[in-house]
Amino acid sequence: MKSTQYSEKTLEHFRNPRNVGTLEGEDVAVGRVGNPVCGDMMDIYIRVGDDDSIRDIKFQTFGCGSAVATSSMITELVRGMKLDEALKVSRGDVADALDGLPPIKMHCSNLAADALHEAIKNWRAGVGPEDAKKQPGGAACHPIPAEVAEVEIENLDAYEGKGLYKRLDDLAELADERVVVLDTGDAAAQLAMDLTDHTGRVVLMTSGKEPSVSPAVRSALRLSDVKVLAEAQPLELLGEGELERIRVHDLNEDEEYELTADAFVVLE
Amino acid sequence: MADDTSRTLTLSDPGEALRRAGVVYADYQSAKPVDPRVVEAMLPYLTEKFGNAASLHGVGDVATAALEEARGRVAAFFGAEPREIVFTGGATEASNLALAGYALRNRRKGDHVILSEAEHISVLNIGKYLEKQGFRVTRVPIDLHGRVSTRKLRARITDETILVSVQWASSEIGTLQPIAEIAELLDGTGIALHSDAVAAEGLVPIDTGVVPVSLLTLSSNDIYGPRGLGALYVRKGVQVAPVLLGGGQERGLRSGSEDLASIVGFAAAADIMAAGMPAEVDRIRAIRDRLIERVLAEIPDSHLNGHPEQRAPNNAHFRFDAVEGEAMVLSLRDEGIAASTGSACSSKTLEPSHTLISCGLLHEEAHGSLEFTFGRWSRMEDVDRIMEALPGVIARLRALSPLYKTSAPAAP
Repeated sequence: MKSTQYSEKTLEHFRNPRNVGTLEGEDVAVGRVGNPVCGDMMDIYIRVGDDDSIRDIKFQTFGCGSAVATSSMITELVRGMKLDEALKVSRGDVADALDGLPPIKMHCSNLAADALHEAIKNWRAGVGPEDAKKQPGGAACHPIPAEVAEVEIENLDAYEGKGLYKRLDDLAELADERVVVLDTGDAAAQLAMDLTDHTGRVVLMTSGKEPSVSPAVRSALRLSDVKVLAEAQPLELLGEGELERIRVHDLNEDEEYELTADAFVVLE
Repeated sequence: MADDTSRTLTLSDPGEALRRAGVVYADYQSAKPVDPRVVEAMLPYLTEKFGNAASLHGVGDVATAALEEARGRVAAFFGAEPREIVFTGGATEASNLALAGYALRNRRKGDHVILSEAEHISVLNIGKYLEKQGFRVTRVPIDLHGRVSTRKLRARITDETILVSVQWASSEIGTLQPIAEIAELLDGTGIALHSDAVAAEGLVPIDTGVVPVSLLTLSSNDIYGPRGLGALYVRKGVQVAPVLLGGGQERGLRSGSEDLASIVGFAAAADIMAAGMPAEVDRIRAIRDRLIERVLAEIPDSHLNGHPEQRAPNNAHFRFDAVEGEAMVLSLRDEGIAASTGSACSSKTLEPSHTLISCGLLHEEAHGSLEFTFGRWSRMEDVDRIMEALPGVIARLRALSPLYKTSAPAAP
């Protein structure tokens, strides 16, 4: 079955999703699951009343047709429910309410249920929305230090002079190359921004949710062309005689993948 | 009996048919209409001149003559000798014959094959098959625009290398590969060069007389001939083992009675393309360029994937921050626009496009890709229609997305 052979109900929720948005306040919690690496990310916000019921609910989703439809549907299903009742809503319930999902898309309904459960968990743990979004979220939860962890990268020194840079005197050397800069503080972030004058592909890799930089640098980064790759830890450098790929650990999903790169800058 | 069994066939113009259906078709790379003139050329070979070229009677002789005449015209279009064209059941089959057929036949010369990281998934999967047969298959990386570097290719060649496969152009991001340079690099080494040319046919000149490739994967539908027919160009002197066994047609290289009507169609398509290619390419390029210009100017946080200049003239491949590909394609479908994407959610394997990842894109960037490819019945108005819909589609999906940093409130 084609992945997009969706039911009319699913398409309706995709075209006209219910409860899109965010919530703020003392009586609000949020659950975030997924991450952009895997192509699906959902935030579900709940406003909880004194009687432990879901008084209001909103969602935001990055993802495909069924990702949008399942998150929309679950907000419709649990609105008004007591939290304990809401916890019982399963991915099967969401898929059934949508008149079924293509088998390859069932994981999206799982994500929607997980996001809701995460919101309820955060509510009960007293975790507010801002803090919930800062922590690694969802099913793959790892306690990661706020400081940049000491990186033990295999083959680091083997690639010195062959794509690995511990210092960079002439930025023009990296013209049109795919450069990854490791987050080691303000200097690295500033270097990354300067590099965008010479190449269109600069990635700032950080193991945290955000790079460990000062507020001023953070603002400048947001406006720059530097692409921030968060919750990523470099494991190994790879390539035939020169750097071609970096094996990366995605801390959020606890998965490994290879990132194509021509240069890796790890400032001392 | 005075029964008149003849029929008058009315063929719609594909452009007209699409307009009547209210569809703006911008996915030519997936499938192209067959040109009505090609259909007209094919018809007699379905009902009147339907013979088997192997038959010894008159009906068979008519078929033989038609088959060999068509072969000559297809060969001429690619600068080849008739004998160098082997008809197959499509381009994927041609790639199988090229890669598996060449490697297995020439195993005594070596067991190392090099493919580019930008190859179509069909080629990469044939590579996996060869690995299971004991070949060592290496991939040569591509740069940020998707182009193979001859320097990196040279560094990977060994004494055991027998075959290199690099596409003429990427069917996905449109980037043109330096085939002439690679052919020159391999000239005299005894290493065969295969190129999957389907994404370049009818868009850039492909002349085997000028560029010394050993093997070329060719498709009929890519020049508006019938689908399900392809050809493998096999340079004189190059040996391949057949993958389809049987009665020995196509000099033993591809058994099975020839699809004569389709082959005649392929030849007709080649003639039509030969006569009109430069003008058609200019026209399509102008439409494509206009879309790129407008998207990059009017939609914030939009980017062009692939090489800005060295790209097939029909291809406009974009990525948009914070939105997902399948969601874009579905939304465009609702607006009557047909486009495609390389996002993970839209693939059978839930993996994002390997080409985009090899270009150095992050996964989240690869998920936000959207591809438009134009063709013979595309018009400038198609760009207007796309731009009437696309900004709104992107804005709606960004309002839904937790990743798009905006101070504007989310949609109610």
